[in-house]
Amino acid sequence: MTDTLTDYLLVVQTATADSLGIEPDEVVPEATLLDDLGAESIDLLDVLFRMERASGVKITIADIAGLLQGGIPDEEFGDENEVVNDTGLSHLEKVLPQFDRGQLTEPLTADGVLGLFTVENLTRLLASRAAATGSPDTGTPNTGTSNTGAPADAP
Amino acid sequence: MKLHDRIALVTGASRGIGRAVALALAREGAAVAVNYRSREEDALAVVKEIEALGGRAVALRADVADPGAAADLVAAATESLGGLHILVNNAGISDDGLVYGRPPGAWLEVMKVNFGGAYHCTSAAMGHLMAQRDGAIVNISSVMGERGWIGQANYSASKGALNAFTRSTAVELARFGVRVNAVCAGFTPTDLVGSLLEDETGKRIKKQVPLRSFAAAEQIAAVAVFLAGPDAAYMTGELVRADGGFAAQLGVGRP
Repeated sequence: MTDTLTDYLLVVQTATADSLGIEPDEVVPEATLLDDLGAESIDLLDVLFRMERASGVKITIADIAGLLQGGIPDEEFGDENEVVNDTGLSHLEKVLPQFDRGQLTEPLTADGVLGLFTVENLTRLLASRAAATGSPDTGTPNTGTSNTGAPADAP
Repeated sequence: MKLHDRIALVTGASRGIGRAVALALAREGAAVAVNYRSREEDALAVVKEIEALGGRAVALRADVADPGAAADLVAAATESLGGLHILVNNAGISDDGLVYGRPPGAWLEVMKVNFGGAYHCTSAAMGHLMAQRDGAIVNISSVMGERGWIGQANYSASKGALNAFTRSTAVELARFGVRVNAVCAGFTPTDLVGSLLEDETGKRIKKQVPLRSFAAAEQIAAVAVFLAGPDAAYMTGELVRADGGFAAQLGVGRP
């Protein structure tokens, strides 16, 4: 990761740890927010608001859903049982670098897609949004209230 | 002053309990958006009164039963006063009568304003309050929401809904540092209750109130200000009765 990405990772880690009441070092880049860290939708909302306060960059759950589905209509993304089809899987492989359909042990449903989203995915989304919006805070995000005691610019 | 630098929006604040809440918030230092639906002059008078106290206020017209108008109201209040920390959902109407024989839709308008207004304004304000991780919502409810009264089924149901909404939104918003509580007012002589509390009927009701008096709007407002302020920092999801002990008793509390 670049220095900037490392800064944004710290924003995501701090927000996630504070929201879920876990230690920041548990919030590893490869952890999925929902399945590995146990976040529920309200937790994810809390994480996003905390990130916004720390970085000045607004990301909504709809933004995440938009990234994951890429504007592909529901009926083209999955079949009638909401199982993600080839089009959907190919898109997910494009936007989630760690995702490999070969690793799936059961069919992926629409509801399960958000479960693939990792700390690193969120970090990269934050970084790209910050770059796109030209946030004045880009590069030196304030990590807000952390329970780590680490300085805001700690690596 | 406990609400120095706070910014509040009070719906239905041109008269009655809403007006008293707006003035009481201002006395504690809050800047206040005074919402009204039709009584512009009354709302402007409240604004003048607040300014005479040395406070900041603005009158904003909106029918909170309309979700779009409620959203515009919250945006206008936030913009004109430079932020928002306190939302008081006070706007309410009544349309009393026995359920028997009334038109099937006699509940809808009451529900749209009393519950819908609170829902719409809460929904419109919550994002801002959540993002700043700081806010208090106070719903002006009624003991009627927890008990029954002949001729007020629709009003009672709307306040019962508001009470349930208070508890649920409190739980949802607690994560974001936003508190939600309600004041369950007892009998308060305002335009809303009209002539009910006058004459012989009023006397009969008053005899059943343990404190032997009706509420002054200011007494309800004082509880709302407490719930909106730092002294209630650890309270959320609470329905606080301010009813002179009326709903505390069993029956009329004596043989």
